[in-house]
Formats: sequence, C-alpha cells, structure tokens
Amino acid sequence: MKSSRPPLSPIFLALAAAAVAAPAQAQQSPEVAALANPDRASLSAGIVAGSGTEKDRTIFGQYNGLRKDDVNWLLDFDLVNRDDATGMWTTIRGRNLGLDSRELGLTLQRQGDWRFTVDYSELVHHEIRTLNTGMQNPGSTNPSIVRLGTPGTGTDWDLSLKRTNLGLSGDKWISNNMQFELTFKNEDKDGARMWARGYDCASYVCSGATGAGVTKWALIPVPEPVNFNTKQIEAKFNYVGEKFFMSAGYYGSFFTNTNGAVTPTVPNQLNGPFNITTGVSPLATLNPAVAGGTSLQDVLQLPMALYPDNQAHQLYASGNYAFTKSTRSTFKLAYTHATQDEDFLSMGLTGAPAGRSNLGGVLDTTLAQLGVTSRLTPKLSLVGDVRYEKRDDKTPIALYNIEQTTLWNNGRVSSEKVNAKGEASYLFPAATRATVGVDYEQLTRELPPATLTGPDRVIIAGISGLRGETQEVTLRGELRRSIGETFTGSIGVGHSERTGSDWFSLTTATYGQSMSYDQIYNRTGTFPFNIADRKRDKAKVTADWMPTERLSLQFVGEYGQDKYDPPSQNSLREGYMDIVSLDAAYAFSDKWKMTLYGSLGHQSINEADRAAYVADTKNRSTAAGLKLDGKVSPVLDLGAGVTFVEDITEYALSPDSASSASNITQNAIGLPNTKFSQTWFSFYAKFAATPQTDLRFDLWHVISKLDEWSWGYNGIPFTYSDNTTLTLNPNQEVTFVGVRFITRFK
Amino acid sequence: MATRPRLQILILIAAALGLLAPLAAPAQDKAPRKDLVLKGDAVCTRCHDEGEEYPVLSIGKTKHGTLADGRTPTCTSCHGESPTHVNKPADATERPKPDRMFSKASLTPMESRNEACMTCHRRDANRSHWEGSTHQLRDVACTSCHQIHTQHDRVRDKITQTEVCFSCHKEQRAMLNRPSRHPIPEGKVVCSDCHNPHGSVGPKLVKRDSVNETCYTCHMEKRGPFVHNHEPVSEDCMNCHNPHGTVVENLLKARAPFLCHQCHTPHGPNVPTLLGRPASSSFPSVTGGKNPINITQGRGCLNCHTEVHGSNNPSVTNPTPQFRLR
Repeated sequence: MKSSRPPLSPIFLALAAAAVAAPAQAQQSPEVAALANPDRASLSAGIVAGSGTEKDRTIFGQYNGLRKDDVNWLLDFDLVNRDDATGMWTTIRGRNLGLDSRELGLTLQRQGDWRFTVDYSELVHHEIRTLNTGMQNPGSTNPSIVRLGTPGTGTDWDLSLKRTNLGLSGDKWISNNMQFELTFKNEDKDGARMWARGYDCASYVCSGATGAGVTKWALIPVPEPVNFNTKQIEAKFNYVGEKFFMSAGYYGSFFTNTNGAVTPTVPNQLNGPFNITTGVSPLATLNPAVAGGTSLQDVLQLPMALYPDNQAHQLYASGNYAFTKSTRSTFKLAYTHATQDEDFLSMGLTGAPAGRSNLGGVLDTTLAQLGVTSRLTPKLSLVGDVRYEKRDDKTPIALYNIEQTTLWNNGRVSSEKVNAKGEASYLFPAATRATVGVDYEQLTRELPPATLTGPDRVIIAGISGLRGETQEVTLRGELRRSIGETFTGSIGVGHSERTGSDWFSLTTATYGQSMSYDQIYNRTGTFPFNIADRKRDKAKVTADWMPTERLSLQFVGEYGQDKYDPPSQNSLREGYMDIVSLDAAYAFSDKWKMTLYGSLGHQSINEADRAAYVADTKNRSTAAGLKLDGKVSPVLDLGAGVTFVEDITEYALSPDSASSASNITQNAIGLPNTKFSQTWFSFYAKFAATPQTDLRFDLWHVISKLDEWSWGYNGIPFTYSDNTTLTLNPNQEVTFVGVRFITRFK
Repeated sequence: MATRPRLQILILIAAALGLLAPLAAPAQDKAPRKDLVLKGDAVCTRCHDEGEEYPVLSIGKTKHGTLADGRTPTCTSCHGESPTHVNKPADATERPKPDRMFSKASLTPMESRNEACMTCHRRDANRSHWEGSTHQLRDVACTSCHQIHTQHDRVRDKITQTEVCFSCHKEQRAMLNRPSRHPIPEGKVVCSDCHNPHGSVGPKLVKRDSVNETCYTCHMEKRGPFVHNHEPVSEDCMNCHNPHGTVVENLLKARAPFLCHQCHTPHGPNVPTLLGRPASSSFPSVTGGKNPINITQGRGCLNCHTEVHGSNNPSVTNPTPQFRLR
C-alpha cells in the first residue's frame, strides 16, 4: 500500500538542499548516513515468568526453553558494523541466551572477497509425556527393570534430547572467476527417548506352558540412550564463466554413536498377559525352570542393537550453462560412497555369522541430472529435465538368521530411479500463461533370489509380494496470471497413474515366481502401498486480489485423491485431502494494520485388514489467526493476536465380510476420536523511553488440549509389564509475562 | 515518515543550507547532483527518498549498498535506465513507470524482474539450479520473498522466514502447530534448513539430492545400512513421516497399527482395541503379545518391532532380529 505523503517530502527537501549547497562534499550528510549506514548495536535483557507447573507446559514448552523453570532470563544482543572504506562487515548476534535454546553467531565478511562465520547453538526437545517407572538407570545402556506394585507409584522421568551445534563456514574469492567455500558442522545429541521391547516368545525359543502364572509374553520400557555425534564437512570450488557456472566439491558426513547396545536387566516376574483384560496385575513367572529351553527373562535380557556408526563421502560437480540468453541448462553429477562397518563386538553384539566381524555395509550411489529450459519465443517456453540415480548396495551377503531349521541371509536392495519432466508454457493475452507438463518416474528395485532354500535365501515377512519395477506418469496443466495490478491467480490440475511390473511372489507355494496381477491376486493378501498401482488426481486454485490499496485478499484451495489398486482388498485403498484457506490484510491507516487468516482442511485414509476390519480414518484440521498492530503514539507501539488450531481424527471402523463374529462386535465398539487444539493469545506493548531505549512488555496465554488414547483411555493407563506408565496433562493452560529492556548503542 | 519536530528541523537545515549555498558556490548552480547512497543514484534520488512506499535510501544499509564492493549495483542496474521515467515525454499525461518495477502490482514480466537479480546472483552456487526449478516455472519473483531496500529481509531471518513461505504454502502453516513437529514456530528449524527455494536436484526443492539425504543431515543415525534394513525407510522417509507436523508421535503420518497395516499383514486377525474401552466377549481369549491392545496402544506395533529403522544386530540365535525386535 502506498503511503500518503506530500509531493516533495521533508526528507527530500533537506537532502536536496544539502546536495545543492555542498556539491563537492565527499562524505554523506548526517541525514543520509543515518538512513544508509547499517551500523547498530543493541542489547535486550529481561525476565519472563510463567504460570502453573512444568506439567502444564509440556506441549507449549517442547522446544522453546520455557518448560522447566517458572522464571527465565531473556537476553539477546546484536551488533552490526560496516567499514565503508573496505566493505568489511562484522556481525555478532546472540539469541535466547538465557534459555536452553540459545544461539550465538559471529560473521566477519569483506564483501566481495571473503567471509567467515561461526555459529553455536543449543536445542533441547522435551518429551511431552512423563515416564513413571520403577526402572533404575533409564536412558542408560544397562537399565534395570523393577516392577511397580501399582501403576503411577514410581519415579517421574522427563526424557529429553539436547542438540549442541558448532558450525564453521567461510568462502574466499580466489580470482574474479573462482570461489572456494568450506563448511563444517559438528553436532552432539545427548539424552534419551522412548523405546520399548516386547516379545511373544515362540515355542521354539521358550519352552514350557503358558498361563497366568507362567508367561511367555512381556512388554517392557527401554528408553533409547542417545549419545550421538555427527560431523559434516563440505568443500567446493565455484567457477563462474561468462556462460558457465560449476561447483565441484566434496561432502563428507560422519555419524558416531558412543553406545552400541542396550542390555536391560529384567526380573523373573512381571505382569502376566492377562492383566490387560482383567485390569489386575497378576505376577507371572518369566523364567520357569524348563530343561532345554530359553526363558523369556533370558530373551528380554539380550542386547538390543543401537544405531551403528556410519559415514558417507560424496564427490560432485554441479552447475549450469547458457547456450544462449534464452536457452539454459542445469546439470549435476555426484558419486557417493557410504559405508557402515562398525565392529559387532565393540557394539556389545555377539553371535555374528562365521567370518563376519562387521556388516561390511557398502552403498554406492551415482546421480546424474540434466535440465534444459528454453524460451523459444517471447511467449513460448519449453523445459526438459532428466534425473538418474543408481543405488548399488555392495554389502556382502552372510547367513545372519537361523530359525530352527530355516536359514536365510541379510537383505540388501539396490535400486535405479529415473525421473523425467517435460513442460511447455505459452503466454496468452491478459498476462495469462498456460502450462502443460508430463512427469515420469521409473523405480527399479533389486529383488531377492527366487529361492526358498540354499545360502542365497532372503526372507521378507509380513507382505505377500514385491515388485521389481514401478512407473508413474503424471499429466498436468495450469493456467496462471502472475502479473496484474489488482488480481493474480492460478488454476491447475494433475493426474497420475502408477503401474509396474509383474509381482514377485513371497507366498511359500509360489515363492519367487513372477506373477501377473490376476495370478497373484489374493483378496486378503497384503502388498505395500508404495509399490501398488495408484491413480492420483490433484487440483489447486489460487487467487490474490487487492480491491483497494488498503485491502488484500488471498484464497488457496487444494484437492487431492489417491486410489490404490494392489492385487488384494487389503492395505491402503484410498487417500484424500482438501484444504481451503483465506487470508486478508487490511490497513486501517498508516499506523494500524490487521491480518486475518483461516483454513479448513480434510484428510482421509481408507485401508483394510479384511480378516478383521476396514478403517475409514478422517481428519479435519482448522487453523485461524488474527493479528493487529498499531502505533498509538510516536513512542508507543501495541499489538495483539490470537491463533487457533484444531485437529480432529475420527477412526471409523467397520467389519469386512471375512470378519469373525467377535471382530464384528469389536468393530462396533470401535475407537474414539482423537483431538488436539491450541489457542494462543498474545499481546505486546513497546514503549520508546528515549530515542535509544525501549521497554517491551509481552503477554501470552496458551491453551493446549490433547485428547488421545495411545497411553491411556477413560482413566485407565496403558501399562507395561512392570507397571510403567506414560502420562500427560491433557488440558494445559499457561500464561507467560515477559518484560525486557532494549537499548541501542548506535 | 518523519515526525513533525524532525520535519521542522529538516526544513530549517534545508533553508539554512540553501541560503548559504550561493555564497559558498555561486558558480555551481548547474553542477551535477551528488550520489547519495549508491554509485550513480543521483538520477533517481533527485526525486525518490526514504518517504517512498518502498524507501530507497535504506538500501544503503544492505549488502547492495556496500560501495567498497565494486560489484554492487546502482538503482538502474535493477530498475533499468528508464529514460522516459527520468525525462517525462512532453506529450505524456502521466510520467511513465520505470523499466522494471518489483511490487506485487507491477506489470513487469517475471522473467525481467528475476533477470535483474540473476544477472549477478547467477554466480552463487545456491542458485545454480534456479532455471527449471518449481519456483522459477511458477513465476515466483525473487522479490516475492526478498525485500531489497531494507536491512531486515524477513525471509533471511529464522524467526520470520515462515511468514514469507506460508504466504503461499497454507497447508504447511496449518501443520506446524501440531503437537508432533519440528521446532519451526520457535525459529530453530526453518524451511530453508530442508529446502532450497532457489532450485535443487532433489524432489520438492529439498536441499540435498534426495529426501533421505536431506533428513540424514540431522538424523544421520537412520542411514545405516543395517544387517536388517527396512526398505521403505531407506527408500523415502516420507513413506511414513510428514516432516511438517502431525498429531501422531514422531511425525508419523498415521498411528500404528494403521500405518503399518498399509504394507504388512496384521497379526491376528485383531481389531484395534483400547484399555478402558469395552471389549467384545471373545477378547479375553486372546493371549500373548500379539493382542489388539499391544498393537494399538503405547507405541503400537513398535512396542515389539522396536528397531523399525533397521537393526544391526548380527545374532543368528533365536529370537533372530530380522523382524527388528532387537
């Protein structure tokens, strides 16, 4: 919106007079310097206090550093300095220094020559739920499980993960055409996150009878200890020619885990499996003295593998070339060598097949991309792009599995992916551009050996078939008006069809056979959604309208629908989404402005387990916001806002014709809806006490509600076999008040 | 806009300087005007100043206004020489617009607007794949996101960047406040941490060459390879996760068992069931861990299939870890 101003502004009058009066003046006038000099230094210090307890702030305070303590310090500063004679910039910035989300950064730059940056930051993610357990040393590699007599009587543990980052980067123009860039990032990630282990002990593992007193089933919490380090380094040379640009470089990434395995200590008695139906917690023996068998206690005390160290090295060349001013190309070639060869014994893991001390994992990836864009005429443009990626899994095969008399190997999957895009657009009158395009994707996956016997055997469980190749073709079109004084907008549609090769049967009787859709069809078979036939339709409408200089309106509507057609009636069948959104901005005056938005979206998924249920999951998402900012006087700014989000998911279960009578009954009982909502009120006032100092006051009131049943429903918590529970205050309400003093030194 | 006291001071300064000017340089009435901020800006700043709709002098505070860098532009580098705007033709009723205008209501073609920037910024490796990128093909102007005349470019500030991106990407705006999310509202993770809006080789303008390689920059532990891989994991993280926010823990698109049943044969047959919810008469007969509650509550299927991203346990003894149990 244009500001209302006299034909010749006072600043202009002063500047013009200065220019006329002192034409030989080499330095900027003070007026101009004040407007054009970037130098500044400011310090913001204050305090923020919140209501309630930590339990009232778990959703609000996941990441912002305001969860743990009722009172927190606020400290920010920044300094910017430019030496006009040399073009030397110095930037130092600190944010959230009083919180556990603090950031500190320094940049030195001689513009056009070199730049150096160092960044330090911390971030803590606090789990929104509290663990109540009798476990000793949760989050360590040797937790000790202790059964609680009654759920909720243990010790509260708030799991969290802290990331500590240090980044260094810099660049230097070596010549007019050559630049060197170097970036390095080190991150430590420490803490623990929720994990568990459970086992329904197969008879060939655990012998003995099962009953209320002797169980072969248990589920225990085992938080994952996290002590990670990642390092990333990238060094590249950029060459700039008249028509040619190329970056050639190395990118290395390295992951190190201090811990190799977690090995819990488990008592020989835990809750039996029947407590889940009766609501009582009968002790059940996990370690019956059965000759020749392995007890469930033994199994639960076996080490669980943690993430192994891995590393990857990439060499690449990437850039563009201008054939002519209107015809340009982009390209990239990259080769990545990734390995994972951490020693099993050093991880605390035993039992590897003979001759293997580590996996020897090797994954080599080759990437090639070439794109061309051409404006054939001022109105007609063409685009073509091809991308090829080959992942060559060279991990050696070894016999990692023995289940009774059944043997099989580790799996490895190489793949090749080709993406291609073609697009043409034509500019019609009224600045309306019509675009049609076609996208193609072909993904070829390595299939396991077609044998159920012998040393090459690989087992893939829980699915009925695989597919060696899928192809997806997308046709799309769009009408767009990007240029207009008051109105711009677009409407676009797209249709995709994914098909593929015949199926690789994983059914014992036909294992390894290549079968057509009709041959492998099994109504209750299960085929992964990501390789099943799929039809996808999408549409999007956008409109931007500025009916007056003070008012602007924006509308966005989107729709999408997926229909899957695996050779069965199971698994994912349909997906759907829509969203409509309206934004408005209105300026009451030069001093008062308002923004307003609202959006409503729906998503649904239809899937089935034909032997048990059909699920029609529907989600409705609402978001809205209102913000008002104004200048009450030359020294007082005020602002207020409210945002609201609500997300409701409905789990509509229904039986299938193959469902048993009991499952029909259970479907009728169904699952309750889950609901999340958050309303956030905010208010601020900034008072300019002096030209160099401000006093700012902030008020937030946040209401968060999470009603869902993963960890309990209707007052009954989900309990592990040791009576560990996870709890959350489902209705959280918190008020924060902050006051800060801001002073500017320049 | 200047405040009234400031205006009065300025007028006084102007008046004083104006009165002194004939004494100081009586022969220089027709001398060329001095540049104020940029090299060669006098042709523009004789009329345009900080009181503009888009204040012009504050460009001096930006990298574009660093005169010591010989590459920096002047007004006409971006806006064009605009001869008819500088010298209004005698027969024109209104002063013609400059050659290139960048406001939302401008009628300057997008290619022309962006070429003004790319003429110089094509030298930047981050923009090597601008040509043919989604934003370029959809007529997104550089100035749709960037503010050139101000020291504080909202899209380059982690706290305000999302406001700029959400002016188009409404669905993502609705997702980011869900309980399972990245720390985007806090400004600790921003759109440009994962996406390169100037073009990339990966899908959806992801920063590195693929979705997974982008995710591994922060979640490198998932890269493996493992003794027991979970193929959809190594193929595309987004098979199971929505990085913009969900109501299910760990940014999962759907909760277990429904997510897992999109690919896998369920244990059972079991209908998802809750503690605290009435159960059918047949339910108590279900024994063992493969019961409907343990696949529905807690971590669902992941209560037992803990190592869903892959297990590097080499053990060949029972229970073997190929089902990612340990």
